[in-house]
Order: sequence, then structure tokens, then C-alpha cells
Amino acid sequence: MTTRWEIVVTWAVVLGGTLAAWSLAAATLPLPDYYLPPPSAVLAALVDLTAKGILPTYVFESLRRIVLATLIGLVVGVPTGLLLGMSRGVTAFFYPLLNFFQSVSGIAWLPLMLVWFGFGEQTILIAVNYTVLFPVIFNAMLGVRSVPPLYTNALRTLGAPRWRIVRDVIVPGALPSIATGIRLGLAYGWRALIAAEMLVGAHGIGFMIFNAQNFHQTARIMLGMGIIGVLWVILDYFLLRPLEEATIARWGLVQR
Amino acid sequence: MPAKIALTGLGHEYVNPFTRERVLALDGLELEVAEGEFLTVVGPSGCGKTTLLSILAGLTTATRGAVLVDGRPVTGPGRDRGVVFQEFAILPWRTVERNIAHGLEIQGVPRAERAATVRRFVDLIGLRGFEKKYPHELSGGMRQRVAVARTLAANPEVMLMDEPFASVDAQTRITLQEELNTIAQATRKTILFVTHNVEEAVFLGDRCCVLSRRPGRVKALVRIDIPRARRTWKLFTSDPEFGALKDRVLRLVREEVGGEDER
Repeated sequence: MTTRWEIVVTWAVVLGGTLAAWSLAAATLPLPDYYLPPPSAVLAALVDLTAKGILPTYVFESLRRIVLATLIGLVVGVPTGLLLGMSRGVTAFFYPLLNFFQSVSGIAWLPLMLVWFGFGEQTILIAVNYTVLFPVIFNAMLGVRSVPPLYTNALRTLGAPRWRIVRDVIVPGALPSIATGIRLGLAYGWRALIAAEMLVGAHGIGFMIFNAQNFHQTARIMLGMGIIGVLWVILDYFLLRPLEEATIARWGLVQR
Repeated sequence: MPAKIALTGLGHEYVNPFTRERVLALDGLELEVAEGEFLTVVGPSGCGKTTLLSILAGLTTATRGAVLVDGRPVTGPGRDRGVVFQEFAILPWRTVERNIAHGLEIQGVPRAERAATVRRFVDLIGLRGFEKKYPHELSGGMRQRVAVARTLAANPEVMLMDEPFASVDAQTRITLQEELNTIAQATRKTILFVTHNVEEAVFLGDRCCVLSRRPGRVKALVRIDIPRARRTWKLFTSDPEFGALKDRVLRLVREEVGGEDER
């Protein structure tokens, strides 16, 4: 059993050690400066870009895009998936189709989308929404099929009409799978967003790190990479975990 | 008095989805259950006990014969026939009290009245203090009590029970059987109780119906004329009348087990 304190100490030691080794390597290895900038340069880039207001703008842009895509995924994707899952025949038809489009990620679509929609905000939004939507629809659909018929039958014998079975059994029963879909969709979507921002080049973290490469601003690239990871952890912690805690964890449907 | 449940020439055939073989589960089954009667059904495994119950519940449509409840043919599930399933069929996302209230909610019973009924049944099944718990926080026996209470609270005319105590431990099973005996005595509901456990069938039933091996039909009906008040496990294990009836039913079931069905 590890205590909270022990976890904090362990992390401090690991992080401190890594930063020290990185600083040492940057200072001693016979490499050009831009090749491996020290942590202090990354920190300096953070301070500089924040002071100029560039970083907050880009972070806001990237977050706005992913949150919007997630909302659309929730509002459009979840009901669509639930509806498709209601009929065995419909599910059988859409399964290979959705599975196919889920795997052709937004990144793979980007070259075509650039031709169709041009180098603009539109292409980024379409690519990200597409990437979020398919795993959400697919998993919501599978979620409906995964609800034990026993629960549905139990409600039928209590005299429940169809709409009530959907509300009381199908939707809550599909929630673990819906949560998986949102988590996957958000994870894929985040990657697609960074890629789309790199290629389209209109603000955002992805644009920042790709653009920095043109000027050998390696510290900025590393800063951007770090921010991509940190933002993901924050999104996961504040958006997805509370959703799971309030529902499926409380019902004993997942093991923590 | 007309029978509460009347089955005539009941037959059911289905295709096993795995082996693709046609299975004749029931054939020419004739059975009548009186109002307020507690009928237990035993038989060798695979004799169609669960199929019979599913047909009565309206979840399965028999391929042959007539199924009448109160003189009306069964066309689908309905709240006049409550079912307690073999597995735990209460909803994991509802608390104990909301599970018990579910049938009443569906019937549109007002909130205050619902709460009063729930309180009564929570007391009846001895789960006071557990009202706000979710099923995963309960033991197997407690969960099955909730399932029984949910069905009872909906106040059906007929209770159909499919091996409801098969998946709880022996000690809990005895307690649940005694509780069900008390409930049956108090509510006088018509109950059809399917089990593979002969002791349980004799302990609980007014009559015990022995089914033949597949295709299932009624092999024998054994009357158990022991007042409910005397039905406690303590008396059961020492009473020679119980012992004799148990042996008789066991012999009837044993005659049907054997040959290809022996496991």
C-alpha cells in the first residue's frame, strides 16, 4: 500500500532526475544548440510565448476545437449509435461500415479534405469531428447490443412500454460502452486535431510546433509536445473521469 | 371454480442456435393451477421447465397448444404475471428502493404511495438500512430478495419463479425458502415455482408437478397436504410425512433421469 506522500516523493525524484540528466546532456554533448535545448530553454519559451499572448491563444484555439467536436459527438453521435443499436439487423449492416470508417482516421482523410475544403478552419473541424464521431457512434451501438436481454425481459414482465425500456434499461446499460466511445473518440480526435493544425496551419498547438520547426525553434517544439500531453491529462481528468464516477463506477459496472 | 392457469396440449419446438438442431422442449403438456395455489415444478435438467415458465410469462410463444390465464390467452408479457428470474435481474443502476419501486413507477402509482409500499416490502425482506445501496453492494441472497420484493410490490395476480434461489448459498437458500413460505401464506398469491431441487419443491408446494424428460409433459402431480404454518426447515427434516413425500417425488424424478440424459 503506497501513500499519497510516497507517490509525490517518487514523482519528484523521477522528474528531478530526468531534468537533471537532460540538462547535463544538453550542456556536455557536442551538439548544436537547437539539436537538444536544455529544460531551461523550454521554460524560457513558455515564459516568452505566454507573455506575448501567443501560447494562451493557441491553447484556447485547440481546446475550443476539441471541446466543440466532443459536444457534437455527444449530441449527434450518442443518439445515432443508440438508434442504430436498437435493431439487430441494422446493427449487423452498420457494424463493418462503422468499423471501417473508424479505422480510416481523420489524419488519413486530411489530404482529401484539403482538396475538398481548402486550407482553413473548416477542414480542421471536419477532420476532428469525423474522428470523434465514429468511435462514439460505433461504441454506443455496441453498448445497446451488450445490454443483457434479462434486464429487458424483466422490465417487459413488469408491464413496461418500449420507451420506458429504452430509458430505464437500454440507455444506462449502454453507458459503459458509451464512455469507452467518448474516451476513444476524444483520444483519436486530439491526435487528429494536432495533425490537422500542422497541415492546415491556422493557429493551435499543432501549428505552433510545426511552424517552429521551420525556424529550428526546438525549445518551442518540445514545449508544444509537453502541452499536448498535459492538456490531454487535464481533459481526461476533468471531463471523462467525473462522468464515469457519477455513473458506471457508482453502479459497480467497472472495477477501479 | 375455473383454473387460474390452464395449459392444454402445450408443445414447443425451437432451433438450437449453436447446434442448429430442432429441439422439442415440451409436448402435449396439460396442467391446471388453481387460484391461490403454490405449484412447484420439478424435472430432470433440460426437460423444458424454464421454457414452460417463459411461455407463461409471455416471453416465449408456444408453437402448439393453448395457454390461458384467467380464461384469457397469453399473448405477451403483462403485469398480471410477475417473474422472478434465475439470475439477478434487478438493475445495477438503480438503488434497492428504486428497483423495488420500478413496477409501481411503470403503473404510474403516485410517489407518496410508492414510497409507502417500498417501505413495507423493504421491511418484509429485512433490508431496512439498505434502501440507498446499489445491487453490487449487496450479497447474492440480498439481491434475490430485492428481485422478489420488486415482483411482489408490483402486485401481480400470478408469480412465476424460475429457480430463484439456485445461485445463493445453502444457508441463505433455507432462509429465503422460509421467507417465501411466509409470504405465500400472507398474500395467497398463485405461484408457479420451477426448481431442480426436490427438497425445495416439496417444502414449498401445495402440489408438486413432476415433468418427464424431454419433451416435457406432466408425469405426476403430488399433493403436499402440510399446513404452511408447519413448514419450517427444523420440522421438515424431522417430519416423516415430509420425508415420505420427498422420497416419492425424488423417485419419480429419478425414473426420468438416466440413459442419455445422465450427467
